[in-house]
Amino acid sequence: MPVLTEPRPAFIVSNAPLIPQQDVLLRMQDDLKRALQKPVNQRRWVMVIDLRKCVGCHACTIACVAENKLPPGVVYRPVLEEEIGTYPNVTRRFVPRPCMQCDNPPCTPVCPVHATYKNAQGVVEVNYDQCIGCRYCITACPYAARTFDFGGTYVQGTTGSEAFLLGEPKAEAMERAANYEYSKAWERKGDESPIGNVRKCHFCLHRVNEGMLPSCVTTCMGRATLFGDANDPDSVVADWIASPNVMRLKEELGTEPRVYYLV
Amino acid sequence: MTLKKIVYILAALAIIMGAWGFYDRFANGHQNAAYGSYVVWGLWVAMYLFFAGIAAGSFMLATLDLLFHIEIFKGTGRTALWIGLISLGGALLSIWLDLGQLWRIWKVYLQGNPGSVMAQMVWGYTLFGLLLVASLYLAIRDPQSKLLRVLMIIGLPLSLFVSGAVGALLGVEASHLFWHVGLLPVQFPVFSLASGVAALLAAIGLFGPAKDPHRAQQLWVLSIATVVLALVKLYFLWADFSQSIYGNVPQNVQAVNAVLFGPYAWTFWGLQILLGTLIPIVVLVQPQLARHNRWAGWMGVLVLVGFAVARANIVFPALTVPELEALINAFSGPRLQFEYFPSAMEWSVTIGIVGLVVLAFLVGTDRLPLQSQEVA
Repeated sequence: MPVLTEPRPAFIVSNAPLIPQQDVLLRMQDDLKRALQKPVNQRRWVMVIDLRKCVGCHACTIACVAENKLPPGVVYRPVLEEEIGTYPNVTRRFVPRPCMQCDNPPCTPVCPVHATYKNAQGVVEVNYDQCIGCRYCITACPYAARTFDFGGTYVQGTTGSEAFLLGEPKAEAMERAANYEYSKAWERKGDESPIGNVRKCHFCLHRVNEGMLPSCVTTCMGRATLFGDANDPDSVVADWIASPNVMRLKEELGTEPRVYYLV
Repeated sequence: MTLKKIVYILAALAIIMGAWGFYDRFANGHQNAAYGSYVVWGLWVAMYLFFAGIAAGSFMLATLDLLFHIEIFKGTGRTALWIGLISLGGALLSIWLDLGQLWRIWKVYLQGNPGSVMAQMVWGYTLFGLLLVASLYLAIRDPQSKLLRVLMIIGLPLSLFVSGAVGALLGVEASHLFWHVGLLPVQFPVFSLASGVAALLAAIGLFGPAKDPHRAQQLWVLSIATVVLALVKLYFLWADFSQSIYGNVPQNVQAVNAVLFGPYAWTFWGLQILLGTLIPIVVLVQPQLARHNRWAGWMGVLVLVGFAVARANIVFPALTVPELEALINAFSGPRLQFEYFPSAMEWSVTIGIVGLVVLAFLVGTDRLPLQSQEVA
């Protein structure tokens, strides 16, 4: 750990060596590298969201939409906004809501074709090639964390000269370009998967497996979203999930979410 | 022009109207549907529940003739089986079109999850459909065969299972408290029986054999059954709603309020309660009207309309209540809303399916030997 050698500000009276705090993003990156060296079934990915730091900028939502090329009607990580109190004593609370990656997920056993399941790393996946699009899992999720790909694009319907100026065909082609969910290229064309499938947050496993943090984590300007391996006692997330000010959504349901909120 | 001819024309018109919906569904997938990622099941799922209920209930009624040989129902078994078969066709067509990936339905059979209620239901309905076909074939070709009796014995509990499974499909969902009540799977066989009775009442009343000496008596018995089952249905409704309201769990109360006072409350009060329940009760408790072909038949139709609305009022309200309240404004988009009214394409498909079922019924009554020789 490097020690600061610059002159200290006058108000610091301690003579103890100053250690600069490492950016939590870099620390999580180190945590991720360590975790990836372990066998997959020994990793326990969790997400910690510090509600005290979330400013409700929605950048994580947009980063997620961009990363996974999400079409209209599909959102993996909305940010819930709650107004608390009555005027003039009001405040706002922002609660990002990714998939909870429950350890006891209600969405997986209802699938009639085993298309959704918890993988070896504990992330709830959807096998797009297997999903029949019955949407039973959507109704089973108590967090509304699953959405359906209806096949539309954002530029659809923007016809006429305005669309021409905006370059609708190219924009649509970009929207339909492959995403890399589950480490496979999924182009959205015709009625092929993932169109007609249920889609959900997967902790950006395609990035994580390549040593990159989830898109929502790297985008968060307040460093409010933390990610890592809870099985690693030295990881950032392991520190936080043991703290007393941690909560999970709808814990009473016994779903054992892997997303923790710091309050 | 006879009533049958008018209904033939209406059914044909309905199919023509439906053709556009079918085309749109196959050409554009789900893009022109009004349901979204929150209200994720719409009109087609409700119609599936509706038609599946008639199918199971009709089979139950067919056993009165073909298994128990109750004199008064003599000759109704084949008609009931035919109604069951075409209704099942309507149900499966509705739910098939609702799938995101239509052509993967085979996966439920070959790669199915035995632990999923939906998979169990698909297998159950497939078996039930095959049983209906075999039963109808035997009932026409060899009504005295032992095999028919065996099929009816197997089919009776199977029809109870498949109708209950529809309730269980919703009932097992703990995330929607409005559905998650033990009473729901218990109610559905009763609903099925009631819809089967209403369908048979309509079929015999409006299109029954003129020479059948049992006809008036059959209508009277079916009318009494309709009234009793309508009262039971009202009691179930009261039990469901009062439990939710007195329980005061916000999610439940919101769902009940959506039915009673929401934007489509008129469907509940006007179609389900008044038209589909109260008017048929008032008419059918009067013996002379209950035995009257047209009166009884049209009351059967009204009860069925009420049932279709009732199915919608079970499916939609639970889904219009957000799992997390702030989701309503979290990320806006055309598919991310907690409101639902079927789109023109959905209506078109449903009208087409209703037309197909009605046309199949009429063709069956005209072309198949559904009535015994003595009354045909």
